[in-house]
Amino acid sequence: MSNRNGTIWISGSILIFLITVFGCSSNTGKPDTSSVKFTQYVVRGEELYQKHCSNCHQKNGSGLGLVYPPLNTSDYMDKNFEKVLCLMKYGLKEEITVNGKNFVQPMPGVVTLTDLEVAEIATYIYNSWDHNRGIVDVTEASRVIKNCATADQ
Amino acid sequence: MIKKIVVPVVCLFISVCFLSCEKQPLPIFGQRQVVTREENGKQVNDTVYHTIAPFTFTDQDGKTITNETFKGKVYVADFFFTSCRTICPIMKTQMLRVYQEIQNDPEVLLLSHSIDPEYDTVELLHDFAARLDVKSEKWHFATGQPKEYVFDLAQKSYFATAMEDKTEPDGFIHSGAFLLIDRLGRIRGKYDGTKEDDVDRLMKDIKQLERE
Repeated sequence: MSNRNGTIWISGSILIFLITVFGCSSNTGKPDTSSVKFTQYVVRGEELYQKHCSNCHQKNGSGLGLVYPPLNTSDYMDKNFEKVLCLMKYGLKEEITVNGKNFVQPMPGVVTLTDLEVAEIATYIYNSWDHNRGIVDVTEASRVIKNCATADQ
Repeated sequence: MIKKIVVPVVCLFISVCFLSCEKQPLPIFGQRQVVTREENGKQVNDTVYHTIAPFTFTDQDGKTITNETFKGKVYVADFFFTSCRTICPIMKTQMLRVYQEIQNDPEVLLLSHSIDPEYDTVELLHDFAARLDVKSEKWHFATGQPKEYVFDLAQKSYFATAMEDKTEPDGFIHSGAFLLIDRLGRIRGKYDGTKEDDVDRLMKDIKQLERE
Protein backbone atom coordinates (compact mmCIF):
# COMPACT_ATOMS: atom_id res chain seq x y z
CA MET A 1 0.00 0.00 0.00
CA SER A 2 2.80 2.43 0.97
CA ASN A 3 4.55 1.52 -2.29
CA ARG A 4 1.46 2.57 -4.22
CA ASN A 5 1.23 5.84 -2.32
CA GLY A 6 4.86 6.44 -3.23
CA THR A 7 4.09 5.92 -6.92
CA ILE A 8 1.21 8.38 -6.76
CA TRP A 9 3.43 10.95 -5.06
CA ILE A 10 6.18 10.56 -7.64
CA SER A 11 3.85 10.77 -10.64
CA GLY A 12 2.07 13.70 -9.03
CA SER A 13 5.32 15.56 -8.54
CA ILE A 14 6.41 14.87 -12.11
CA LEU A 15 3.07 16.17 -13.37
CA ILE A 16 3.35 19.38 -11.34
CA PHE A 17 6.93 19.79 -12.53
CA LEU A 18 5.89 19.42 -16.18
CA ILE A 19 2.97 21.80 -15.80
CA THR A 20 5.24 24.38 -14.16
CA VAL A 21 7.97 24.08 -16.80
CA PHE A 22 5.69 24.06 -19.84
CA GLY A 23 3.26 26.55 -18.31
CA CYS A 24 6.08 29.07 -18.05
CA SER A 25 7.71 28.34 -21.37
CA SER A 26 4.50 29.05 -23.30
CA ASN A 27 4.62 32.72 -22.30
CA THR A 28 8.19 33.35 -23.35
CA GLY A 29 9.47 34.04 -26.82
CA LYS A 30 7.55 37.23 -27.52
CA PRO A 31 8.66 40.67 -26.39
CA ASP A 32 7.02 42.09 -23.26
CA THR A 33 4.70 39.13 -22.81
CA SER A 34 6.74 37.40 -20.12
CA SER A 35 6.12 39.92 -17.37
CA VAL A 36 3.97 39.17 -14.36
CA LYS A 37 1.76 42.13 -15.31
CA PHE A 38 1.08 40.67 -18.76
CA THR A 39 0.19 37.30 -17.25
CA GLN A 40 -2.14 38.96 -14.74
CA TYR A 41 -3.85 40.92 -17.52
CA VAL A 42 -4.32 37.77 -19.60
CA VAL A 43 -5.68 35.70 -16.71
CA ARG A 44 -8.12 38.40 -15.59
CA GLY A 45 -8.95 39.17 -19.21
CA GLU A 46 -9.84 35.58 -19.90
CA GLU A 47 -12.15 35.49 -16.87
CA LEU A 48 -13.90 38.66 -18.02
CA TYR A 49 -14.03 37.40 -21.60
CA GLN A 50 -15.78 34.24 -20.48
CA LYS A 51 -18.20 36.26 -18.38
CA HIS A 52 -19.12 38.96 -20.87
CA CYS A 53 -18.09 37.88 -24.38
CA SER A 54 -17.84 34.13 -24.90
CA ASN A 55 -21.60 33.50 -24.91
CA CYS A 56 -21.67 34.94 -28.40
CA HIS A 57 -18.08 34.98 -29.62
CA GLN A 58 -17.42 31.48 -28.15
CA LYS A 59 -14.62 30.41 -25.86
CA ASN A 60 -12.39 29.66 -28.83
CA GLY A 61 -13.21 33.02 -30.46
CA SER A 62 -14.82 31.39 -33.48
CA GLY A 63 -18.06 33.40 -33.32
CA LEU A 64 -21.28 31.81 -34.59
CA GLY A 65 -22.05 31.60 -38.29
CA LEU A 66 -22.75 35.04 -39.69
CA VAL A 67 -24.61 36.06 -36.52
CA TYR A 68 -21.68 36.76 -34.18
CA PRO A 69 -18.35 37.64 -35.79
CA PRO A 70 -15.18 35.66 -35.04
CA LEU A 71 -12.35 37.12 -32.97
CA ASN A 72 -9.77 34.38 -33.48
CA THR A 73 -8.97 35.59 -36.99
CA SER A 74 -10.33 39.07 -37.56
CA ASP A 75 -9.13 41.78 -39.89
CA TYR A 76 -11.66 44.04 -38.18
CA MET A 77 -9.79 43.69 -34.88
CA ASP A 78 -6.48 44.34 -36.61
CA LYS A 79 -7.71 47.52 -38.30
CA ASN A 80 -9.98 48.91 -35.56
CA PHE A 81 -8.07 48.59 -32.30
CA GLU A 82 -9.50 51.75 -30.73
CA LYS A 83 -13.04 51.00 -31.88
CA VAL A 84 -12.83 47.49 -30.41
CA LEU A 85 -11.95 48.93 -26.98
CA CYS A 86 -14.85 51.38 -27.24
CA LEU A 87 -17.43 48.80 -28.33
CA MET A 88 -16.67 46.58 -25.34
CA LYS A 89 -17.91 49.37 -23.11
CA TYR A 90 -20.44 51.17 -25.29
CA GLY A 91 -21.66 48.51 -27.72
CA LEU A 92 -21.98 48.69 -31.47
CA LYS A 93 -25.06 49.13 -33.64
CA GLU A 94 -23.60 49.68 -37.09
CA GLU A 95 -23.10 46.99 -39.71
CA ILE A 96 -19.49 45.82 -39.82
CA THR A 97 -17.38 43.73 -42.21
CA VAL A 98 -15.18 41.04 -40.74
CA ASN A 99 -12.97 38.97 -43.04
CA GLY A 100 -15.08 40.08 -46.00
CA LYS A 101 -18.42 39.10 -44.43
CA ASN A 102 -21.02 41.50 -43.12
CA PHE A 103 -22.50 41.30 -39.61
CA VAL A 104 -25.60 43.21 -38.53
CA GLN A 105 -26.51 41.89 -35.07
CA PRO A 106 -26.17 44.83 -32.65
CA MET A 107 -23.69 44.24 -29.85
CA PRO A 108 -24.68 45.47 -26.39
CA GLY A 109 -21.86 47.13 -24.48
CA VAL A 110 -20.94 46.44 -20.88
CA VAL A 111 -20.97 50.00 -19.62
CA THR A 112 -19.89 48.97 -16.12
CA LEU A 113 -16.45 47.84 -17.34
CA THR A 114 -13.61 49.85 -15.84
CA ASP A 115 -10.69 51.04 -17.94
CA LEU A 116 -8.55 48.35 -16.35
CA GLU A 117 -11.08 45.65 -17.22
CA VAL A 118 -11.24 46.84 -20.84
CA ALA A 119 -7.42 46.72 -20.89
CA GLU A 120 -7.45 43.19 -19.49
CA ILE A 121 -10.01 41.89 -21.99
CA ALA A 122 -8.14 43.63 -24.81
CA THR A 123 -4.86 42.09 -23.68
CA TYR A 124 -6.51 38.68 -23.63
CA ILE A 125 -8.20 38.84 -27.05
CA TYR A 126 -5.26 40.62 -28.70
CA ASN A 127 -2.86 37.90 -27.51
CA SER A 128 -4.99 34.84 -28.10
CA TRP A 129 -5.61 32.74 -31.21
CA ASP A 130 -4.05 34.51 -34.21
CA HIS A 131 -3.14 37.71 -32.34
CA ASN A 132 0.11 38.67 -30.58
CA ARG A 133 -0.10 42.39 -30.04
CA GLY A 134 1.43 42.40 -26.57
CA ILE A 135 -0.01 44.04 -23.48
CA VAL A 136 -2.75 46.67 -23.74
CA ASP A 137 -1.92 48.80 -20.74
CA VAL A 138 -4.55 50.53 -18.60
CA THR A 139 -3.17 53.98 -19.44
CA GLU A 140 -3.54 53.18 -23.14
CA ALA A 141 -7.09 51.89 -22.56
CA SER A 142 -8.00 55.04 -20.58
CA ARG A 143 -6.69 57.28 -23.37
CA VAL A 144 -8.76 55.39 -25.96
CA ILE A 145 -11.92 55.21 -23.85
CA LYS A 146 -11.79 58.95 -23.15
CA ASN A 147 -12.09 59.55 -26.88
CA CYS A 148 -14.83 57.00 -27.62
CA ALA A 149 -17.61 58.41 -29.76
CA THR A 150 -20.37 57.05 -27.59
CA ALA A 151 -23.17 59.06 -29.11
CA ASP A 152 -23.26 57.48 -32.55
CA GLN A 153 -22.51 53.89 -31.57
CA MET B 1 -8.58 -14.82 -0.59
CA ILE B 2 -8.10 -12.31 -3.37
CA LYS B 3 -9.98 -14.55 -5.82
CA LYS B 4 -12.94 -14.65 -3.44
CA ILE B 5 -13.27 -10.89 -3.75
CA VAL B 6 -12.14 -10.34 -7.32
CA VAL B 7 -14.38 -12.92 -9.00
CA PRO B 8 -17.68 -11.58 -7.64
CA VAL B 9 -16.62 -8.00 -8.26
CA VAL B 10 -15.75 -8.76 -11.88
CA CYS B 11 -19.03 -10.62 -12.35
CA LEU B 12 -20.96 -7.75 -10.84
CA PHE B 13 -19.14 -5.26 -13.05
CA ILE B 14 -19.90 -7.25 -16.20
CA SER B 15 -23.57 -7.61 -15.29
CA VAL B 16 -23.84 -3.89 -14.61
CA CYS B 17 -22.36 -3.29 -18.07
CA PHE B 18 -24.94 -5.56 -19.64
CA LEU B 19 -27.76 -3.95 -17.71
CA SER B 20 -26.72 -0.51 -18.87
CA CYS B 21 -26.78 -1.72 -22.48
CA GLU B 22 -30.42 -2.63 -22.03
CA LYS B 23 -31.80 0.87 -22.48
CA GLN B 24 -34.79 1.96 -20.49
CA PRO B 25 -37.49 3.66 -22.56
CA LEU B 26 -37.46 7.43 -22.24
CA PRO B 27 -39.89 8.80 -19.64
CA ILE B 28 -43.16 10.45 -20.62
CA PHE B 29 -43.50 13.83 -18.91
CA GLY B 30 -46.59 15.34 -17.37
CA GLN B 31 -49.78 14.15 -15.78
CA ARG B 32 -51.55 11.11 -17.11
CA GLN B 33 -55.14 10.03 -16.78
CA VAL B 34 -56.66 6.62 -17.03
CA VAL B 35 -59.80 6.65 -19.14
CA THR B 36 -62.10 3.69 -19.08
CA ARG B 37 -64.05 2.82 -22.20
CA GLU B 38 -66.12 -0.12 -23.33
CA GLU B 39 -64.93 -2.36 -26.11
CA ASN B 40 -67.02 -5.36 -27.14
CA GLY B 41 -68.81 -5.26 -23.81
CA LYS B 42 -65.52 -5.27 -21.84
CA GLN B 43 -64.06 -2.47 -19.75
CA VAL B 44 -60.77 -1.29 -21.25
CA ASN B 45 -58.44 1.18 -19.52
CA ASP B 46 -56.55 3.68 -21.66
CA THR B 47 -53.78 5.93 -20.38
CA VAL B 48 -54.02 9.46 -21.72
CA TYR B 49 -50.71 11.35 -21.63
CA HIS B 50 -49.92 15.03 -21.58
CA THR B 51 -49.35 16.34 -25.09
CA ILE B 52 -48.42 19.69 -26.62
CA ALA B 53 -51.61 21.75 -27.12
CA PRO B 54 -52.58 22.73 -30.69
CA PHE B 55 -50.59 25.75 -31.91
CA THR B 56 -50.23 27.97 -34.96
CA PHE B 57 -47.19 30.08 -35.79
CA THR B 58 -45.52 31.71 -38.76
CA ASP B 59 -42.01 30.54 -39.54
CA GLN B 60 -39.03 32.40 -41.03
CA ASP B 61 -40.36 31.82 -44.57
CA GLY B 62 -43.74 33.30 -43.69
CA LYS B 63 -45.30 29.83 -43.79
CA THR B 64 -47.89 28.71 -41.28
CA ILE B 65 -46.68 25.96 -38.99
CA THR B 66 -48.95 23.94 -36.69
CA ASN B 67 -48.92 20.63 -34.83
CA GLU B 68 -49.58 19.04 -38.20
CA THR B 69 -46.16 20.21 -39.41
CA PHE B 70 -44.57 18.11 -36.66
CA LYS B 71 -47.03 15.23 -36.64
CA GLY B 72 -45.32 11.84 -36.87
CA LYS B 73 -41.89 13.48 -36.38
CA VAL B 74 -39.56 13.63 -33.45
CA TYR B 75 -38.75 17.27 -32.72
CA VAL B 76 -36.72 19.44 -30.38
CA ALA B 77 -38.26 22.71 -29.16
CA ASP B 78 -36.78 25.70 -27.36
CA PHE B 79 -37.59 29.32 -26.48
CA PHE B 80 -35.28 32.22 -27.27
CA PHE B 81 -35.09 35.68 -28.86
CA THR B 82 -32.51 37.02 -31.28
CA SER B 83 -31.51 40.11 -29.29
CA CYS B 84 -30.79 38.12 -26.14
CA ARG B 85 -27.19 38.18 -25.02
CA THR B 86 -27.32 35.91 -22.00
CA ILE B 87 -28.04 32.24 -22.60
CA CYS B 88 -29.60 32.28 -26.09
CA PRO B 89 -26.31 32.50 -27.98
CA ILE B 90 -25.09 29.40 -26.14
CA MET B 91 -28.41 27.67 -26.79
CA LYS B 92 -28.17 28.48 -30.48
CA THR B 93 -24.58 27.22 -30.58
CA GLN B 94 -25.78 23.97 -29.04
CA MET B 95 -28.92 23.73 -31.20
CA LEU B 96 -26.70 24.18 -34.23
CA ARG B 97 -24.79 21.08 -33.10
CA VAL B 98 -28.08 19.18 -32.96
CA TYR B 99 -28.95 20.54 -36.41
CA GLN B 100 -25.67 19.35 -37.84
CA GLU B 101 -26.32 15.91 -36.38
CA ILE B 102 -29.88 15.54 -37.72
CA GLN B 103 -29.89 17.69 -40.87
CA ASN B 104 -30.11 14.67 -43.17
CA ASP B 105 -32.54 12.74 -41.00
CA PRO B 106 -36.08 13.16 -42.39
CA GLU B 107 -37.65 12.00 -39.11
CA VAL B 108 -36.35 14.84 -36.91
CA LEU B 109 -37.21 18.57 -36.89
CA LEU B 110 -36.25 21.57 -34.77
CA LEU B 111 -38.57 24.34 -33.53
CA SER B 112 -37.29 27.53 -31.93
CA HIS B 113 -39.98 29.87 -30.60
CA SER B 114 -39.20 33.54 -30.32
CA ILE B 115 -40.49 34.91 -27.02
CA ASP B 116 -40.06 38.45 -28.37
CA PRO B 117 -42.27 38.19 -31.48
CA GLU B 118 -42.70 41.97 -31.81
CA TYR B 119 -38.99 42.43 -32.44
CA ASP B 120 -38.34 39.03 -34.04
CA THR B 121 -40.34 39.48 -37.21
CA VAL B 122 -40.49 36.97 -40.06
CA GLU B 123 -37.89 39.01 -41.98
CA LEU B 124 -35.55 39.18 -39.01
CA LEU B 125 -35.82 35.46 -38.29
CA HIS B 126 -35.32 34.72 -41.97
CA ASP B 127 -32.07 36.65 -41.86
CA PHE B 128 -31.09 35.00 -38.57
CA ALA B 129 -31.64 31.49 -39.98
CA ALA B 130 -29.77 32.38 -43.16
CA ARG B 131 -26.86 33.62 -41.07
CA LEU B 132 -26.78 30.29 -39.22
CA ASP B 133 -26.92 28.64 -42.65
CA VAL B 134 -29.80 26.33 -41.75
CA LYS B 135 -32.67 25.03 -43.88
CA SER B 136 -36.18 26.27 -43.10
CA GLU B 137 -37.85 22.89 -43.61
CA LYS B 138 -35.59 21.37 -40.97
CA TRP B 139 -35.29 24.15 -38.38
CA HIS B 140 -38.38 26.32 -37.98
CA PHE B 141 -38.16 29.67 -36.19
CA ALA B 142 -41.63 30.51 -34.91
CA THR B 143 -43.15 33.97 -34.54
CA GLY B 144 -46.36 35.75 -35.51
CA GLN B 145 -48.30 35.38 -32.27
CA PRO B 146 -48.61 37.72 -29.28
CA LYS B 147 -45.97 37.01 -26.67
CA GLU B 148 -48.61 35.95 -24.13
CA TYR B 149 -49.54 33.15 -26.53
CA VAL B 150 -45.91 31.95 -26.58
CA PHE B 151 -45.51 32.24 -22.80
CA ASP B 152 -48.70 30.26 -22.30
CA LEU B 153 -47.62 27.49 -24.67
CA ALA B 154 -44.17 27.38 -23.07
CA GLN B 155 -45.50 27.06 -19.56
CA LYS B 156 -48.57 24.90 -20.00
CA SER B 157 -47.51 22.65 -22.86
CA TYR B 158 -43.73 22.45 -22.68
CA PHE B 159 -43.32 23.07 -18.91
CA ALA B 160 -40.67 25.63 -19.81
CA THR B 161 -40.22 29.02 -18.16
CA ALA B 162 -40.78 32.03 -20.39
CA MET B 163 -42.10 35.37 -19.24
CA GLU B 164 -41.48 39.08 -19.34
CA ASP B 165 -39.46 40.69 -16.57
CA LYS B 166 -38.40 44.30 -16.91
CA THR B 167 -35.81 43.88 -14.16
CA GLU B 168 -33.83 41.34 -16.22
CA PRO B 169 -31.01 42.71 -18.46
CA ASP B 170 -32.86 41.77 -21.66
CA GLY B 171 -36.40 42.13 -20.33
CA PHE B 172 -37.31 38.44 -20.23
CA ILE B 173 -36.68 35.44 -18.08
CA HIS B 174 -36.71 32.09 -19.76
CA SER B 175 -35.17 28.70 -19.29
CA GLY B 176 -32.44 27.35 -21.54
CA ALA B 177 -34.29 24.07 -21.86
CA PHE B 178 -34.43 21.93 -24.97
CA LEU B 179 -37.55 19.76 -25.02
CA LEU B 180 -37.64 16.46 -26.88
CA ILE B 181 -41.08 15.70 -28.30
CA ASP B 182 -42.10 12.34 -29.70
CA ARG B 183 -44.22 11.47 -32.73
CA LEU B 184 -47.38 11.66 -30.61
CA GLY B 185 -46.66 15.14 -29.27
CA ARG B 186 -45.53 13.93 -25.84
CA ILE B 187 -42.53 15.38 -23.96
CA ARG B 188 -39.89 12.66 -23.61
CA GLY B 189 -36.89 14.60 -22.39
CA LYS B 190 -35.76 17.93 -20.98
CA TYR B 191 -32.16 19.09 -21.41
CA ASP B 192 -30.11 22.11 -20.47
CA GLY B 193 -29.45 23.75 -23.83
CA THR B 194 -26.50 25.64 -22.40
CA LYS B 195 -24.55 22.52 -21.42
CA GLU B 196 -22.65 20.58 -24.02
CA ASP B 197 -22.83 17.22 -22.22
CA ASP B 198 -26.58 17.52 -21.69
CA VAL B 199 -27.00 18.21 -25.40
CA ASP B 200 -24.89 15.10 -26.10
CA ARG B 201 -27.44 13.18 -24.05
CA LEU B 202 -30.24 14.76 -26.11
CA MET B 203 -28.63 13.62 -29.35
CA LYS B 204 -28.43 10.04 -28.01
CA ASP B 205 -32.06 10.18 -26.85
CA ILE B 206 -33.21 11.39 -30.29
CA LYS B 207 -31.72 8.22 -31.81
CA GLN B 208 -33.36 6.09 -29.15
CA LEU B 209 -36.73 7.77 -29.64
CA GLU B 210 -36.54 7.20 -33.38
CA ARG B 211 -36.19 3.46 -32.80
CA GLU B 212 -39.36 3.31 -30.67
